[in-house]
Amino acid sequence: MSTLLDILLRLTLWILLAPLLPGIINQVKAWVAGRRGPPVLQLYYDLSRLWRKSVVMSTLASPGFVAGPAVAWVALVGAAILLPIGPFGGGLSFKGDVILLVYLLAVARFCTTWAAMETGSAFEGMGAAREVSYAVLTEAALITAILALSVESGSVALDRMLALSAGTGAVLLAAGLFAVLLAENCRVPFDDPNTHLELTMIHEVMVLDHSGPPLAVILHGAALKLLLFAVLLSEAVLPMGRMSPLAATAALVGAVGAVTIGVGLVESLLARFAFRRVPLLLTIAFLLCLFALLLAWKGGPA
Amino acid sequence: MGVPVSPVITAGTLLFIAGAGLLLAMVSGRAAPRLWLMGIAVGTGAALAAAVGVLAGWADWDWRSGFEIGGEQLHFRLDAISALFLALLGVVGGLGAVYAQEYWAEERHPRSARAGRLGWAVLVAAIGLVLVSANGLHFLIAWEAFTVASYFLITLDRQRRDVRAAGWLYLGASHVATLCLFAFFAILAVRTGSWELGSMQEQEELAPLFWLALAAFGLKAGMFPLHIWLPSAHANAPSHVSAMLSGVSIKLGIYGLVRFSGWLPVPAAAGWVIALLGVISAVLGVAFALGQHDLKRLLAYHSVENIGIILIGIGFALLAVAQGQAAWGRIALAGGLLHVWNHGLFKSLLFLGAGSVVHAAGTREMSRLGGLWTRMPWTAGLFALGAAAISGLPPLNGFVSEWLVYLGLFDAVESRGTAALAAAFAAVMLAATGALALACFIKVCGVVFLGTPRSAGAVRALEAGQRMRVPMIVLALGCVAIGLAPVLVWPALARAAAAWNPAWGSLGMPPALGALGRIHAAVAILAAVAAAWLWARTRRAGLRRGLTWDCGYAGPTARMQYTAGSFAGTLTEWFAWILRPQRHELRAVATFPERAGFEEHTPEVVLEHVIQPAGGVVLQVANTARRIHHGRVQAYLLYLVAGVVGLGLLVLLGARP
Repeated sequence: MSTLLDILLRLTLWILLAPLLPGIINQVKAWVAGRRGPPVLQLYYDLSRLWRKSVVMSTLASPGFVAGPAVAWVALVGAAILLPIGPFGGGLSFKGDVILLVYLLAVARFCTTWAAMETGSAFEGMGAAREVSYAVLTEAALITAILALSVESGSVALDRMLALSAGTGAVLLAAGLFAVLLAENCRVPFDDPNTHLELTMIHEVMVLDHSGPPLAVILHGAALKLLLFAVLLSEAVLPMGRMSPLAATAALVGAVGAVTIGVGLVESLLARFAFRRVPLLLTIAFLLCLFALLLAWKGGPA
Repeated sequence: MGVPVSPVITAGTLLFIAGAGLLLAMVSGRAAPRLWLMGIAVGTGAALAAAVGVLAGWADWDWRSGFEIGGEQLHFRLDAISALFLALLGVVGGLGAVYAQEYWAEERHPRSARAGRLGWAVLVAAIGLVLVSANGLHFLIAWEAFTVASYFLITLDRQRRDVRAAGWLYLGASHVATLCLFAFFAILAVRTGSWELGSMQEQEELAPLFWLALAAFGLKAGMFPLHIWLPSAHANAPSHVSAMLSGVSIKLGIYGLVRFSGWLPVPAAAGWVIALLGVISAVLGVAFALGQHDLKRLLAYHSVENIGIILIGIGFALLAVAQGQAAWGRIALAGGLLHVWNHGLFKSLLFLGAGSVVHAAGTREMSRLGGLWTRMPWTAGLFALGAAAISGLPPLNGFVSEWLVYLGLFDAVESRGTAALAAAFAAVMLAATGALALACFIKVCGVVFLGTPRSAGAVRALEAGQRMRVPMIVLALGCVAIGLAPVLVWPALARAAAAWNPAWGSLGMPPALGALGRIHAAVAILAAVAAAWLWARTRRAGLRRGLTWDCGYAGPTARMQYTAGSFAGTLTEWFAWILRPQRHELRAVATFPERAGFEEHTPEVVLEHVIQPAGGVVLQVANTARRIHHGRVQAYLLYLVAGVVGLGLLVLLGARP
């Protein structure tokens, strides 16, 4: 019973906090540009409005067009539940849960791209093709990062892997995971969440045809994924297990905030890369994770 | 091992019933389809029951008869390893027969339907015999029967030139494998003094024989670069035969490797080689799949990929044996063995689904399909499930076996032994393979089932009938069941692993497997609830249908959809160094260009760039050597004299020491 309650609490926390991050990013961007910007809670308003709106669906779309976003959202929530929250540990920790997390993200990708292919539009096909292609490199980088953490901690369970810091390779791992975060969440320099030119995007172009409640679910899922990656990155770098619960909570909140602000700054200061250069950048992210793995290999507890 | 439940029903009696059923099917196959189906059902059902019994803890079945074939006593044995593969044969063999009743029916294929039924019964019986033979000679006979029966099934539609070419290539490649097996069993029989098979771990000098077995069984399993026969055979065979080929036949290669690496000593390098071949097969198999535009050829290349994943598991198990690291070796082996089942289930499902598409739309070309979900919702849904399973997505069965392989690899990395860095490399490659497979199946599903139809055939497509749908549903349920309750299959895997290497002892279940199953069930239920809820919410909020948004363009056509080639374009470009795509481009030049075009084709690289040139050289040498056959008797007498003198010298020189 207490496990169920624990999971419900985590669920509420993740679901409620996730839409905050895009708001903070937009605030940072507005601040750098010298604008006033939308309120931090803008996404909450958007979601509640979209939830009440009616839906226009392509004549070609099957029920999978609506089921896709729903299943993707469940997969992302599942992945978030698996992730330990600082001093409170994991909700469902078991050996190998980290692999399940990676593959739950893949489930979300399968469903999102499936829904994109429903409409028979070339634009959405392009977005889906880019999403699944770049994912090959991000997934390889992510697994390499996980290997580094696993070598460092001598464990394949998330709560032990993330309790320690990433050791000597922490800086490399942080840089690699930050690039993976940007790519997986379709932020600049991989993608531009602001443009509405259908040709230039990955994520936005896949959801062109979605509207109303399904779009709300997609946007919330995207926010959740961003929060998930920010927490993962923070916990991989910070030695959570060595701090007092209060300090760890504060450190986690601070780190997630710092990552979010970092995303905002990158978005303000960099332009989106040409698509040709995206694989190059992702390969660099992979190499960073690889060197972190090698450092962990050399220096970890033998 | 436990005892049989009752003295009457044992694995042995069930297998005799299975044999009788298959015999009935062989006799009645030509004239009486119903009787044939009954025979197959009894045969595969009884074989499945026997296999499940042995996997659930019945005593192994070991039976000798006084009856001799080729001077050797018949000797059959069913242990957990054989049973694992026999169970798969029982499932796919039975379901494929039901499917064939409608798919390859008398009305549509009057010439070959009868031969198809006969061939199916022979094939199932031959594969069963391969799995239970405990005598090298009989293994070879059964193996050859299985190869030839497959050939006749692949070429059922032999009016078509492609089919004949594919069958020919299959027959050639299979006989290279058989030749290696001949050498393998003959040397084994000479060294041990008997054709009897069994554990010979103590005879260290037999280890080099492993390389012969690897060549033979690797060819059969279709591991890269020995996969040359596989794509065309799978693509051109009738779909129920493709399902059997991919689901069961190529697994016999795996069976051979597992069987003989368990019975015979292996060289020190065996584990490294198999693991490396596994990684190469996995990554390049899926890369080639991405380059295909023929639906069934694409699925065939995914078989290469999945065989790679299985080989990674087996390779690391062998490494673990060599290094005395039971802990992670057992998990890797269990993952590889479970993937045998899983791939058998979801790949058969996918091939049967592809068969329904071909049956309905009359083409395998993905660029002529599209929008089939409105016309074939069952096939589309079941194919989608198979696609998710083969992409290794939770909560389905593909993820369970890949998860076990990952666990083995991660534990190997943490053990920091000599295999650790190799395990890290394999894990990263496995992750990339998973992402590539996902890309490939989104491409397939999107292009074939979603969007609008690209040809008249796709417009006219009709849903498959009951007898084609039911086998697919059963296979899909199998995929879901293993995904949601992996704990249930664990005892079977543990017994097979124990039979492979008794020294490891019984294999305790990783406690995380139960947790994984529970989370899978929770995710499945929540996903269903969420989808239903969102659908209801959408309906309540008001649902209108409109044209697809195409940047404001109001007249989208089927030709404006993203194609399979464009979808995979980025990825195939990364692999262009090995795929060597051939591009034909007709650029639009003038201000008002009249025509423009683009065509891309991925060749069979190993076949066209390695095997064919090598074959050309052999033919050239043979042609040159043929000149000495000119028909002049005097010269032939000279050859004779020279030959005799040469032999005499050889004897003289050889006799001196």
